[in-house]
Amino acid sequence: MTTIKLWKFFEREKLFECYQCARCTGSCPAMDVAPAFGPRETILRCLNLGHDKVVEDPRLWLCCTCHVCEDRCPQQIPIGDLLVALRNSAARRGNIPDRLRIAVELLAKTGRSMIVHQLDEMRSHHGLDPLPPVPVDEIREILKKSGLNSLIEV
Amino acid sequence: MKEKTDPTGVIENDLKIGVYVCHCGKNIGGTVRCEEVAQYAATLPGVALSKDSLYTCSEPGQEQIKSDIREHGLNRVVVASCTPRLHEPTFRSACESAGLNPYLLEMANIREHCSWVHLHDKDAATEKAKDLVRMAVSRAAELAPQFELTVPVKRQAVVVGGGIAGIQAALDMADAGYKVYLIERSASIGGRMAQIDKTFPTMDCSICILAPKMSEVGRHPNIELLTLSEIQEVSGHIGSFRLKVLKKARYVTKECTACGDCVRECPQLVPDEFNAGLSIRHAIHIPFAQAVPSTFLIDMDRCLNNQGIVACDRCFQACSHKCIDFADRDQEIEIEAGTIVVATGVDVYDPTALTELGYGRFPNVITTLEFERLINAGGPSSGELIRPSDRVRPRKVAFLQCIGSRSKRSSRYCSNVCCMNTIKDSLLIKEHWPDTEIYVFYIDIRAFGKGFEDLFQRARREGVTFIRGIPGEILEDIRTGDLTLLGENTLLGKHYRLDVDMVILSVGIKPRANAGALQRMLNLPVDTDGFFLEAHPKLRPVDTTTGGVFLAGAAEGPKDIKDSVTQASAAASRANILMSRGEVKVPAITARIDPDKCTACGLCARVCPYHAIEGSKERGYYRVVEAACQGCGTCVPECNFGAIEQTHFTEAQIVGQIDEALQNDPHEKILCFACNWCSYAGADFAGVSRIQYPHNVRIIRTMCSGRVSPKWIERALVKGAGGVLVSGCHPSDCHYNNANQNTVRRVERFWKRMEKLGINKDRLRLAWVSAAEGAQFARVIQEMSEGLKTLTAQQIREDSDMLSKRLAKKSETS
Repeated sequence: MTTIKLWKFFEREKLFECYQCARCTGSCPAMDVAPAFGPRETILRCLNLGHDKVVEDPRLWLCCTCHVCEDRCPQQIPIGDLLVALRNSAARRGNIPDRLRIAVELLAKTGRSMIVHQLDEMRSHHGLDPLPPVPVDEIREILKKSGLNSLIEV
Repeated sequence: MKEKTDPTGVIENDLKIGVYVCHCGKNIGGTVRCEEVAQYAATLPGVALSKDSLYTCSEPGQEQIKSDIREHGLNRVVVASCTPRLHEPTFRSACESAGLNPYLLEMANIREHCSWVHLHDKDAATEKAKDLVRMAVSRAAELAPQFELTVPVKRQAVVVGGGIAGIQAALDMADAGYKVYLIERSASIGGRMAQIDKTFPTMDCSICILAPKMSEVGRHPNIELLTLSEIQEVSGHIGSFRLKVLKKARYVTKECTACGDCVRECPQLVPDEFNAGLSIRHAIHIPFAQAVPSTFLIDMDRCLNNQGIVACDRCFQACSHKCIDFADRDQEIEIEAGTIVVATGVDVYDPTALTELGYGRFPNVITTLEFERLINAGGPSSGELIRPSDRVRPRKVAFLQCIGSRSKRSSRYCSNVCCMNTIKDSLLIKEHWPDTEIYVFYIDIRAFGKGFEDLFQRARREGVTFIRGIPGEILEDIRTGDLTLLGENTLLGKHYRLDVDMVILSVGIKPRANAGALQRMLNLPVDTDGFFLEAHPKLRPVDTTTGGVFLAGAAEGPKDIKDSVTQASAAASRANILMSRGEVKVPAITARIDPDKCTACGLCARVCPYHAIEGSKERGYYRVVEAACQGCGTCVPECNFGAIEQTHFTEAQIVGQIDEALQNDPHEKILCFACNWCSYAGADFAGVSRIQYPHNVRIIRTMCSGRVSPKWIERALVKGAGGVLVSGCHPSDCHYNNANQNTVRRVERFWKRMEKLGINKDRLRLAWVSAAEGAQFARVIQEMSEGLKTLTAQQIREDSDMLSKRLAKKSETS
């Protein structure tokens, strides 16, 4: 639940290798929708403001984990890992966007994270069998075991 | 035959050791009771006289030693004071001036290794000082006079590489009156500087200031220029190197007047490497207009006659002087030289691997080297700035910095020249075409040199826009060839999407891809970045660890023209010192092989980092070439027959020290073998920094950790030492060309043995401590002392009994 947990999953030392060249943000597909927010700024905020401030930021959830930033990082900082670790930490502090909360609830209820209207009709139109039923109980069990249950009531 | 005598019994009667315990003001005297130590020393065997003095290194202190040597006939001197790395030369010369061989001096380091690191425990520090003095006295008893060998230095030099550094070094040595062979791989000297248009910060025309120097080389009576030549083999050592050089065929004789009639006739076309592939040349060509030698050559890989059959003789027919010789062949030349200057220069980073930048795919993305040729009046576009896709002048140009530098994806270091080069390039564009918009994308602008900041400010005043933040990606409009840069301006925290006509990648420089061959031939270590490593980064920046070989220019690390020239002159001056003396003293610390014991197995020759051991099984012997031996002693422990001895660090001397160090309460002691250059200096640094650590460590100095024999470790454990620490330079930092890789091998083998015998492996530790890592040294000692506390004296005794029984058995059976 604390800072220590986060740094267990991400090697903190690597942050110091960042020299803010901004190749990451320059490559970020989220940059058009979230101006002035990107991997570069996240690393800088981690260094200057500390973990507690960073995990409060709802913009953490804008990352689509495409890992292009990591690919182009000249210092090979595992930015994807950093963002995943930060999100885990944020979620434990209740910083979870509503859309994600809804998706998880849906998953627990129906076994699917999104609902497609007239799915079976569409499938039969294309000559496909209807989808097999989802073992909702098993999925709920997985959600419990993964600990997601403790963050989002399912 | 050598007489076998009891070494202590016989010499002891003749021994007259003088011991001088220095107070060093309060530095030692404030912690160690020096009078007590001196009184103790007087009771040691062989000690004729023992004194303490306030400052032994002072003039009166030295005079005392000198007069004692004369009056009392002292034949060994022990000074217990500071580190030998500081005042050994002082006391050695004092001994020498009193007629005593300087190698009969021994020092006990009771300041850096004792008083300064045990400031708060006077009793323990005094006891430790007594131990250190006793160890020194026992070693002194075993010392023998040594005489430094003088080898002649041939007054000829070889310079490898004909770039600006090589040219400067060759001229400096030739002007001093020495014969210089300048060996250049390509067809002309000039190197990278010849390709560059202008130089920063003065904006001089590069070739205009270089060409006079090139022609001076060409006509200098003392310089023999060997172009198209590569070194095949190097043997010998400082003062007398022998080189085999392969001089490739030029197919055009010296009589060529460079009229160019042949070129017009040649049907074969190839990309011109001098113009970075932006133009074409013929198979018969001259690299560039100002080339020295000013002689054409045939690129036989591209000539139609490359099968050895004359299929085309159009150039031959066109040549009015009949200078073309298809029968020309490669030659092997042998050269002798006293000194060698290595100035092999650098390669340029190829940004193709950074696919997001599109170099190689987008024609209008070029490198700075290509830009230099484009903007040069002698280049493919006669100095017109045009973009490669449509040959139209670009109106908006972007420079991208740090491409191939400061990155784990390419090279981790800063390439040193790219910032200023870009600033210069942007000013060149502004000078010719002031309406061009120029954007420089950077991380940091490093304008650190003389006049550099002024140039940077000038570029900003001229309207060059500097944007902090390297673009993440470049997109190309296929129809127009225009480029779009996507990135973030970090200072504004805003994203940009900038359309430009042309992008210039400011590429970094990297070590020569094929420097490995020369590196092996000359035994040169390289640093972690792949550049040649200097002997000392501050105080011997142009020397290498191989005697008589010096470094100049960017081969040693990225540098600009001025620094290359400065370093070249320094390297030439260092070489000139050797050649003007005509002889050089090589340190007396070398290895010697006893021919009676040698079985010519050749193991020693394999571990010698300097190839200084010659011989063969067929010849039935191996011997050390003293002038080439650098005295690391790595070969000594490798010999299974005890046939090798290192002078001044003999087996008897070290074993004596081990025994004395472990005389009292050995189970509490940590015996440390520290190499002279890094670990011993690191321990000194701990002292200078007053880092306190446990006082149970006793340090024995060796030249290299590669000298540490498993027999010593064994001896220490038999004697009941609680712990043994072997410490040396970090693996790539070894002062003896990675001799310490043998240390690793031997210690690992010893660990396996300990495991088999059931001895706690933690009692033997291998640690890398550099000269700057005093804290690290203290930490290691601290950790080992903590570990020692978990062992009982009983356990240690049992281990040592078991070991000594095994040894006794072994010697019985053999």
